[in-house]
Amino acid sequence: MINGLRGLKISSVIFTLLISIPMITIFTYLFIGNTENWNHVKETVLLDYIFNTLYIMIGVGLLTTLLGFSTAYLVSLYRFTGSKFFDLALVLPFAIPTYILAFIYNGMFGISGNVTGFILDLFGKNISEVPFFWDIQSIEGAILVMSLVLYPYVYLVCRTYLSFESSSIIEAARTFNLNTWQVLKKVIIPISRPAIIAGATLAIMEAVSDYGTMDYFGVNTFVTGIFRLWEGMGSIEDASKLASILMTFVFILIILERFQRRNKTYKSSGKDFRPITKIQLKGWHNNVAFIICFLPFFFGFLLPFVQLIFWFAESYEKIIDEDFLELFLNTIKLGLISAFLITSIALLVVYNFRLNKDKPSGTFVQVIKLGYSIPGAVVAVGILSFFGILNELYLKLFDNSFLVSGTLIAILFGYIVRFIAISINNFEAGFNRIPQSYDDAAAISGVGNVKTFTKVIVPLIKNSAFASFIVIFIEVIKELPLTMVLRPFDYDTLAIRALELNEQAQTIESAVPSLSIVVIAMISVILLIKNMKKA
Amino acid sequence: MIKKLAFGAVLLASTVYASSVNIYSSRHYDTDKELFKKFEQKTGIEVKVIQAKDDALIKRLQTEGKNSPADVFITVDAARIQRATENNLFQAIQSDVLTSRIPEALRDKDNRWFAITKRARIIAIRKDSGFENKEYTYEELADPKYKGQIMVRSASNVYNQSLMAAMIAHHGEEYAKTWAEGVVANMARSPKGSDRDQARGAAAGFGSIAIMNTYYLGKLASGNSSDKETVSKLKVIFPKFKNGGTHVNVSAAGVAKYAKNKENAIKFIEFLTSTEAQEIFAKGNYEYPVVKGAGISDLVASWGTLEDDNISISDLGNNNKKAVKVFDLAGWK
Repeated sequence: MINGLRGLKISSVIFTLLISIPMITIFTYLFIGNTENWNHVKETVLLDYIFNTLYIMIGVGLLTTLLGFSTAYLVSLYRFTGSKFFDLALVLPFAIPTYILAFIYNGMFGISGNVTGFILDLFGKNISEVPFFWDIQSIEGAILVMSLVLYPYVYLVCRTYLSFESSSIIEAARTFNLNTWQVLKKVIIPISRPAIIAGATLAIMEAVSDYGTMDYFGVNTFVTGIFRLWEGMGSIEDASKLASILMTFVFILIILERFQRRNKTYKSSGKDFRPITKIQLKGWHNNVAFIICFLPFFFGFLLPFVQLIFWFAESYEKIIDEDFLELFLNTIKLGLISAFLITSIALLVVYNFRLNKDKPSGTFVQVIKLGYSIPGAVVAVGILSFFGILNELYLKLFDNSFLVSGTLIAILFGYIVRFIAISINNFEAGFNRIPQSYDDAAAISGVGNVKTFTKVIVPLIKNSAFASFIVIFIEVIKELPLTMVLRPFDYDTLAIRALELNEQAQTIESAVPSLSIVVIAMISVILLIKNMKKA
Repeated sequence: MIKKLAFGAVLLASTVYASSVNIYSSRHYDTDKELFKKFEQKTGIEVKVIQAKDDALIKRLQTEGKNSPADVFITVDAARIQRATENNLFQAIQSDVLTSRIPEALRDKDNRWFAITKRARIIAIRKDSGFENKEYTYEELADPKYKGQIMVRSASNVYNQSLMAAMIAHHGEEYAKTWAEGVVANMARSPKGSDRDQARGAAAGFGSIAIMNTYYLGKLASGNSSDKETVSKLKVIFPKFKNGGTHVNVSAAGVAKYAKNKENAIKFIEFLTSTEAQEIFAKGNYEYPVVKGAGISDLVASWGTLEDDNISISDLGNNNKKAVKVFDLAGWK
């Protein structure tokens, strides 16, 4: 029994160390002296980067909360026109990669967009005659586009929480003489706060690590700065220093999020995970609820989806060939293997912390989440440096060649570093739902650790594992920069093909790989929701 | 192991080659894929490719060191070529074919890299704007009479950095900063989007003058109907520096320092500079050839004659860092 525990602890330590090495490599640059490049950045653009990054964090945090919580609240507590459909449909925007949405929206609503052009024609005006034109290629536009595809993070957490865990509290509140607004304001919002913040934190982390959309929309954030220092000034050291400041910001955010969760978690005692009784909405209440749920679904999914279908129909014959099928399979294979790996490792790490509860593992679990807050290309730099050191070492010791970069192992390692945060967050929330008394009871009755795990923990954690698997799978099939630089020869994925075509101005053709990504992700999302319903 | 299995499966399905050449490339065009296939058919040498962003590939080459499987590194933009050279990622080679075919200005003096294509940074002006009927210098784009007219992408973009590096080479940093401030004051909106978006914007009447690369206009012209319309509304003008020509940037190829298939690598680069290959680059991707006698696309030819600027590729590379700083100081986002 002791040995099982120790084995768990040792493997967990090894994994967390391995995963944190790329981040630590980057982080050491925080302490290099002020170089000439650094002084220049500090004097000219750093304030701008900080301001814009904070603006994005707050904007995406608020908008994903607004969209994600309001819809989760309605779908969980009420019945209205389409509520069953929305329950599933509201997660679908998650299937659309941010860069694809940014691109499609600029093509529609940008200064030369087709919708813009149509409206201008309708009024017989030229764009230069319009006194005020809101340009979607702006920081607000970036917040909007990001939030439209990231709010499902908030929606998913809040929906699970409201439908299952908080039912006893909400049912109790309803029996008091409080009206709907009072219940919402005094009970539901306060008790949902930890769930909201957990979801919004993931959305914020993904938004601050984005380069594609920010660069395309002309928003200078920390990440833009990282790339300017690296690519423009050729200083990977200064770029890493800026990346480590960003990581510090995010680390504080993660710690704050955990702190508020620890102090304010309202959990049921564990026995009454029963669904809440839904109230039927009528009249204008019904219409308002419908509109609140329809808007994010429409703008986050339906509109871009329909556009992609039109383009797909126009060009699929040209694009789908043998090579395309090969990269289609590559993409799915990568997604499945990494989803399995990441989910397993995250489970191991989180479960170890639950059993062993030592401070260092607790801290390391938080550190390895940071991979999600820095751009994939920067994670790749940390990984390549690490491989470089391994490579040198091996050469010295064995006088033989050994190369990790360019193998699938390199790509998989990259995905683990970049995405494990999502899976860990999932399991942390999942384990939070299991009262400690279950473990204690099992321990007292003399059931071994392995048996406790398979008989008690696995059934309760099954859904978190499934959710993690699906979300990671979707993230991986959308991933671009890490895959590009770490891949083997002649190895393409759908996301890489979409980028290639798009960069050659073949917008319509690029819809073929893009729509493939969206459809695979969509099927996964549907599986996820069906599974949640069964739970 | 996993890698071997994956490759095994691919190899079984395809032709068996006598030998191979491994390419790291930061070019992402279908024309390049077409060329690689042609080379395979011609020589029986298999071409294996990894395509990714320049600086990421530079980092990968550095960390792989002696073990790197790369034989050829193809990169875009003067600064990256310079960076790869400074980091000692290329090796000097002997090839009479290359030294005789490629002009001196377009290859390294120690034969470590050779330009394979050129692209010009030009302006596209809306035909009914009233600004289109004259010749331009880059310097005059800072003139207040173009207030609200200029469309250009952000300073993060390498082609803008390279243009600024040329401006610094011609006039020094002080002048370049004043020039950048003038251009910023003339912008129709703060910099964002791609080169193509600048053309689309100017054609739609948001500003009138788009600063962009020639080959993007070619791509737009071969795109969908609204992009074709965009191109038809614009007139291409080749601006010049007051004491020079039109700013040109290049793609270049070199044999990797630790190439295992050096001979194949040289053969491959020589093939890229053959007239046949140069015409595929030029006609398929709307770039300019680096060898004399290779034809260009009719569309590109219709825009006029390109006269290259006289600043060397290595000077452009050396000034790149200064260029980024000048952009930041001038508030060019």
